[in-house]
Amino acid sequence: MVLKIANWLDERVGWSGVWEAIFLRKIPKVNWFYTLGSATLFTAVNQAVTGILLTLYYVPTPDHAYDSVQYITTQIPMGWLIRGLHHWGASAMVVLTVLHMLRVILLGAYKYPREVTWFTGVFLLLIVVGFGFTGYLLPWDQKAYWGSAVGSSIAGAAPVIGEWVLRVVRGGSDLSAVTLARFYGVHVWVLPASLILLLGIHMYLVIKIGISAVPQREDEA
Amino acid sequence: MNKQEQKEYLEQYKRDKEKGVPFYPDILFKDAVISLVIFLALAALAYFIGTPLEERANPSDTSYTPKPEWYFLFLFQLLKYFPGELEVLAVVAIPTLAIILLFFLPFLDRNSKRHPLSRPWVTVLVLGSVVGVLFLTVQSIRETPPPSEAGQGDPVAALYTENCAVCHGGTILVPEGTNLHDIIAQGTHEGMPAWSGDLTSDEIDALAGFVLSPGGNALFKEFCSACHESSELVASDPIELKMALDEGLAYAPHADVNIPEWSDAISQQERTALLNFLVAPDGQRLFATNCAQCHGRSVSFAGEEAELRLLINQGGLHLEMPPWRETLSNDQLDALAGYVTNPSDTGDGLELFTQYCASCHGDRIPTMDDFDQAREIIASGGAHETMPVWGEVLTAEQFDALVSYTLEAAQGTPLEVGQELFAQNCTICHGDFGEGGPNPARPDDIIAPISTSEYLKTRDDHTLFQITAQGQPNFGMSPFGSAYGGPLDDDQVTALVAFIRSWEADPPVDLPPEVNTSSISLSSDEVYEQLCAQCHGPDGLGDVGPSLRDPGFRTNNTPQEIFETISNGHEATPMISWGDLLSADTIQDLTDFILALEITEAGVIPQPTPGFASFAEDVMPIFEAKCVPCHGSMGGWDGTTYDAVMTTGDNAPTVIPNDVENSILAQKIIGEQTYGAIMPPAGKMTNAEIQIILDWIAAGAPDN
Repeated sequence: MVLKIANWLDERVGWSGVWEAIFLRKIPKVNWFYTLGSATLFTAVNQAVTGILLTLYYVPTPDHAYDSVQYITTQIPMGWLIRGLHHWGASAMVVLTVLHMLRVILLGAYKYPREVTWFTGVFLLLIVVGFGFTGYLLPWDQKAYWGSAVGSSIAGAAPVIGEWVLRVVRGGSDLSAVTLARFYGVHVWVLPASLILLLGIHMYLVIKIGISAVPQREDEA
Repeated sequence: MNKQEQKEYLEQYKRDKEKGVPFYPDILFKDAVISLVIFLALAALAYFIGTPLEERANPSDTSYTPKPEWYFLFLFQLLKYFPGELEVLAVVAIPTLAIILLFFLPFLDRNSKRHPLSRPWVTVLVLGSVVGVLFLTVQSIRETPPPSEAGQGDPVAALYTENCAVCHGGTILVPEGTNLHDIIAQGTHEGMPAWSGDLTSDEIDALAGFVLSPGGNALFKEFCSACHESSELVASDPIELKMALDEGLAYAPHADVNIPEWSDAISQQERTALLNFLVAPDGQRLFATNCAQCHGRSVSFAGEEAELRLLINQGGLHLEMPPWRETLSNDQLDALAGYVTNPSDTGDGLELFTQYCASCHGDRIPTMDDFDQAREIIASGGAHETMPVWGEVLTAEQFDALVSYTLEAAQGTPLEVGQELFAQNCTICHGDFGEGGPNPARPDDIIAPISTSEYLKTRDDHTLFQITAQGQPNFGMSPFGSAYGGPLDDDQVTALVAFIRSWEADPPVDLPPEVNTSSISLSSDEVYEQLCAQCHGPDGLGDVGPSLRDPGFRTNNTPQEIFETISNGHEATPMISWGDLLSADTIQDLTDFILALEITEAGVIPQPTPGFASFAEDVMPIFEAKCVPCHGSMGGWDGTTYDAVMTTGDNAPTVIPNDVENSILAQKIIGEQTYGAIMPPAGKMTNAEIQIILDWIAAGAPDN
């Protein structure tokens, strides 16, 4: 019966082709370092799931942000775990992204024919850093506020456009409610959208081209 | 990588793939294991360490030491190695360059070799960067000192370590002429908080000194700290400090102390460092300690910077002292000379000094060792050194700071300008302290206070600027910004806003005052004075708006049209519609009032109503308060009686009746004199006082 439904669906959707293309494709023999990409993907999923759960209670205004974070941590069942996974997951994501990148560099995986995969990867790194920067402010505690104040002012040190950049980042000359709303908006809408788009391209290319094989030391004269 | 190599690679890859394993289950298994390990690790961290949440954000708590997320620490640390203008390198140049390099890596490394050992350049560079970032991160964590251990034993160094070192590292390079006290107090520097809330003025001074002269701090600790606390000496009189250093054992307060001869113990260079540390080159403080006694809050000075430098540097032949032998008896001269040579003698000398000398010398007694010499100088008067030769006392850094501050102060700070503008334009409706009151434009309306903390906290500078510039026509407030036809340019509005903003720290009004809400009936001339005069001038001669006395105005406007213009306003001009605000009767009265104004020829300004009623009652008191202290019996112009005012002076007549422009008195009080300095030397009189004197001259300088 199940098989019948599956066949019926496959005839119309064709998912067995997709299954074969993604899961049954052959991969060169690789070592454990090659799991770093998947590990990064896992943390991204972890961040997305816990992040979505956090938005159910989090309120992005200076009046309520701190209280809502406190509420999530202390009152909601498993709230501490959700927030903990998101918090530590953020650090893990940065570390894994960088390690993944180092693996790609050291083993020359960015070379032909995977250059475009590499470009999307660099953008993904910047997005991850952007997540870290915007997310740091959201708990609205002392380290969030002052860290972001210093961090955004560093952006303002750029010549000529610095002041403009600072105004855009903060939504005014000072760190305020506008800044919080802005960081929140970027953190939950702009960056995730960009992440999904670029990650989609990144994954598509990885599957289509296949992951690189472990390079052998060329016999040089 | 050429075509051939590309093809080879693809073939090799195909072979690798055939020898390989399927993604599911082999690879996916590995991925799942790693993901599980990561998840467990994260959950363990969340469980055992928890998720830190500090105190609620407090924007006013500047004592908090900001730290970014750990993976940004290396960048933060990098910043410390690029002080001042080089900051841009660390902030913008290096990260941008790194990202660009990273992005274009496939184009930079085009070799077909892939093994890390076959590509030593890339490998070394990347591993080098990793080591560098790790090093910076570790360094950053190590250099943030636990607050309890910061700079033990040296209070100033401790202040520095606690408050500045986190961002600035061990030393700060400061460009010459920087007013460091201001920067520390106000936090004008990017990302730097205003410290004035947390540190006392003395502490800020000590910090400024420490930053400019860390060597001085060490010297202070070595030589002075046994007896002196640093806060007791900082910002004290630089003349005293210099004397103490130069005279060594001969310096009276040091006479009984067991100290070395400073000139042997401390080199000239070190003495400068020590002085810079003790009296940090901070113009405002230097001015307050050294100049304010004689010059008041600021010196009116309109010349070039070089001129001012010379004047301060060489000290003073810039004021004439009258020959006292003409006014004082021999006994009095003796008493004065005695007092000057021995200030502890508090006989007649002190009294005489207070009476005759203090108005110029302040309580800084010009001491002299030689009685005869002192007596001679006092008796003969003339150009003598009234101002110390500051060039000998101040260090170069202090001198620069003093000059730039004096120049700046001479131009008036935005706050003072704003205050004056507020008094001229706003107090009519908003009261002296922005406390508000009955709205003259709308009978039963109360203008709410604009100086409460509530009002100021809920409106940012931009909003205040817009309100001031555009006015609030619905409430009877005309636009004041020149862009909307008002009298003030953008800078003036900004100054005004700055003044209004200055209330926020200490609001003069925190509750709306009790205001009598009974309807106010104003006569038409009162309405004119409060509302129309803002633009049409107090005499209807026009200012922003047209003259109401102009014959053309009358011929072009029928009474009906005047009535309608008042009611409906005038498009494209700042003339707002008053119809909603004033009753028809009031407007009618106002129209009659305007029609009753005497017509004057176009362009001819009628004799303004004199701002004085009588010489004896209005003008003389000003002379007595502002001029006679010096211009009494000291020679030169004499301001004690009407006759003396009109006849005396080195270039008599000082007053030319009916001719304001050529009267030396008028020139000197408004600061347009062709020779000598502005009078009074400590600063201009108020505008009202000046106007009374000018009006008096214009009216023919009568003796009434």
